[in-house]
Amino acid sequence: MLRNNETEQPSGVLLKLMAFSVALGVLPLSSYYGSLHYLWEGNTIYSAITAVVAANVVLVSYIITATLEEGKASKAGSPSETRKER
Amino acid sequence: MSQCPPFAPFFGFAGVASAMVFSTVGAAFGTSKSGIGIAGLGQFKPELIMKSLIPVVMSGIIAVYGLVVSVLIAGSLSTKYSLFAGFVHLGAGLACGFTGLAAGYAIGHVGDACVRAYVHESKIFVGMVLILIFAEVLGLYGLIIALIMNTKVAQASEFC
Repeated sequence: MLRNNETEQPSGVLLKLMAFSVALGVLPLSSYYGSLHYLWEGNTIYSAITAVVAANVVLVSYIITATLEEGKASKAGSPSETRKER
Repeated sequence: MSQCPPFAPFFGFAGVASAMVFSTVGAAFGTSKSGIGIAGLGQFKPELIMKSLIPVVMSGIIAVYGLVVSVLIAGSLSTKYSLFAGFVHLGAGLACGFTGLAAGYAIGHVGDACVRAYVHESKIFVGMVLILIFAEVLGLYGLIIALIMNTKVAQASEFC
């Protein structure tokens, strides 16, 4: 049975997961401090809201990436089954 | 009794610590409980692993909420610190921490059960994401209250 996690791209999934983990850690904090100094001029509430929005943007992009990858995987899986039928 | 006793920063630091600690406990429970379900799903359908990691990412966001509140409170700590500010910061930290604990608990149970059901029925995915979003906004409510409480410190800051 073709397992797309193993044979086609063994490191693609892992790279994506590592990128998202780093983004989830780095983006909220950096957006908090960056918007505190450069965008909102010391208003901590708006900076905290910016950090929360950044974290949720990472989450939404992860959901979209996972959904798109599953759509690609199911399309790639069906031709291999017809090869078996031959 | 003065407005700024020397033990006032204890409450401020307790607020910082409780925001981080309790929300991390919630996130750890969510990650581990849904990780058990993902390990079960991975045996049968490994191509669904990327989609079933969504509860884990949401638990991470709960920990990020606690981190943001801790950074926010720690930014307004100082040596000239009134007891009022200490109590406000403690309340803000506890609000964020315990709501993060509740959200992580919900995400853990829901993630485990829904991920195991996803092996058999793929239409449960949308329902799982909706339930997880509702569980995560519990932590968001705690963060909003912590933000609102933190503004009170900025307003009343010149006691000592």
